[in-house]
Amino acid sequence: MTEVYLGVDVGSISTKGVVIDRAGNVLCREYLRTQGSPIVSIRRLLRELGGRLDGDCRVAGAGTTGSARRLAGVMIRADIVKNEIIAHAVAAGRYHPDCRTVLEIGGQDSKIIILRDGIPVDFAMNNVCAAGTGSFLDHQASRLDIPIEDFGAKALSAKNRVNIAGRCTVFAESDMVHKAQLGISTEDIIAGLCDAIVRNYLNTVAKGKDIQDSVLFQGGVAANVGVRDAFERALGRTVKVPEHFLVMGAIGAAILAMEESEERETTFAGFETADIGFESRAFECEGCPNRCEVIETVREGEVVDRYGDRCGKWSELN
Amino acid sequence: MKATFPNLGFDTPVIRGFFEDLGAEVVLPPPTSKRTIAMGVDHSPELICMPFKITLGSLLEALDAGADTVFMAAGARKCRFGYYHFLQKQALARTGRPCRLVPVSQYTPFDFFFRLMPSEFGVSPVRVMRAVGLMIVRSRMTEEFRRLVNRRRAVDFAGAERAIGPARELVERARTLGEIRRARQDLRRMLAVNGAGFGDPGLRIGLVGEIYMMLEQFANQDIEKELGRLGVEVLFVRSLHRHLLHLLHVDPSYRRSRRLARRYLRSCPGGEALRTVGEAIEFVERGQADGIVHIFPFTCMPENIAFEALQRFSEDSGTPLLSLSFDEHTSRTGLLTRLEAFVDLAARRKRDRSLSRR
Repeated sequence: MTEVYLGVDVGSISTKGVVIDRAGNVLCREYLRTQGSPIVSIRRLLRELGGRLDGDCRVAGAGTTGSARRLAGVMIRADIVKNEIIAHAVAAGRYHPDCRTVLEIGGQDSKIIILRDGIPVDFAMNNVCAAGTGSFLDHQASRLDIPIEDFGAKALSAKNRVNIAGRCTVFAESDMVHKAQLGISTEDIIAGLCDAIVRNYLNTVAKGKDIQDSVLFQGGVAANVGVRDAFERALGRTVKVPEHFLVMGAIGAAILAMEESEERETTFAGFETADIGFESRAFECEGCPNRCEVIETVREGEVVDRYGDRCGKWSELN
Repeated sequence: MKATFPNLGFDTPVIRGFFEDLGAEVVLPPPTSKRTIAMGVDHSPELICMPFKITLGSLLEALDAGADTVFMAAGARKCRFGYYHFLQKQALARTGRPCRLVPVSQYTPFDFFFRLMPSEFGVSPVRVMRAVGLMIVRSRMTEEFRRLVNRRRAVDFAGAERAIGPARELVERARTLGEIRRARQDLRRMLAVNGAGFGDPGLRIGLVGEIYMMLEQFANQDIEKELGRLGVEVLFVRSLHRHLLHLLHVDPSYRRSRRLARRYLRSCPGGEALRTVGEAIEFVERGQADGIVHIFPFTCMPENIAFEALQRFSEDSGTPLLSLSFDEHTSRTGLLTRLEAFVDLAARRKRDRSLSRR
């Protein structure tokens, strides 16, 4: 019987899952679109991973991360629920011990993590706006009618990179339209967009951070060779994209679950959780003028988790 | 006269007591809520800082509750806060609520004791001094209350939350010196951590930053509570008590923190930037804190400069630092994720350090 560990990373745009063994080898991984419905996508993810796993394997620990980590944690009864910053840092430190900087750009957020000797020492996240994250690139790709997979390659074939205003997605888009109306080639505009995204990232998220080698680029946008190239140009350093860049958060969650279940039995509910009826619903508490929106997670008609209130009136009932 | 003033977290009853000791009838604004902020934002310039918006909202709510005279802290010395009463007076007039706004300058004690307060309330300067003295004693009680709550939360979060309600009532009721002394004894008993079988808090974090953000829990989204939930003991220096002592030039910690800050800031960029930096250095160099959380209002110039200095200090000393700017758009989810990640990171670093020392 092989002991394996499950990591689930549910983000705004995509749902990722991995199963790793004790040595940290990735046995199987899955990447799905969340499509606004994490409960459905978590279920699909579990079904996929459960079906692909060897019958000889036993899940000895499960962890969740990402913006829907709490919901996912309740659904699969995870051993550990951890924020995505630590999850990404742990995975990067494990597979690339020499890594000192992690650039991560996901669907709707971006972050930078500084590691020293494999230990995360500093981080920053985008706080005000989501300019230059995956969903914006997605939107521009579909506007230009280019499959997102080919978007980065187009940027590499640019001859004269143009300057695109990258502070804000709305201005970036109107600037792109403007440059297109001037007759500038799509390739040059895309390359300019990649530059703008990188500039925006370095000036806001990574502001004041000491970027040192080696630099890892993780998250969905790392698939975009154009952005990676723009990073290398701007930083004057090699930027590595790890093999499992798409699922690094999930790998981190799995590693944390492994650490967590050293001493105790896992609480993991099994891949069959996929078939149990889950639902989330929200209501507005009328106890005070704050009118907090309270979220309830319901498992087969029974409330298993509540959160979202400021005072703790509801969440402390759990 | 029905006097009022903006909310100031746990210290609201302390200030209320001051006005009542002068014989005033006080109408308190309701506890700060989303509605307070929404009302304040409606009548504020867009890029002004959060203390302006919340205090304005608080005053509007107090006027709606029946107040007619507004006392607003002023004193143009430190930052634009000193000018807020001018703007707020105009804003209140524009909303059509009849009221009188009395600016209370913080840096002119002579005027405060001998002219302003006696003429407003028809009392002698001696009575004003006595009321201020009592206010200082009461504010020391709320400072201790906060400290005890933070310590208890770190080791027994649920127990602390259960005790806060009754403890807060004690704080609000204690008025005379005798009552205050008894209340402080009761507080220590209710919120005790010693001998109760609790472990050590895993982590201690020093909270520094702009004073209003430090004192009004609604403005900082109850950051002390959220850190306590994560098992962190929150240390602080800034309080109404310290501030009052500072205004009377009898706060030794003030001079100390300003001196420490000189290493990173040669001159004062305004506001409380020097204190923010100095307090952080002191927390770390005394070995009290494993990390620093710095909170300030978005668009606050002095604290933005302090942030740059803190970053350099954090690099030089290897101290984990989290700087958070707040405004009415601050996302709670984002804040909680950052706090959680920061606490994890500081805990991992602490563990790593104690391993390498062994």
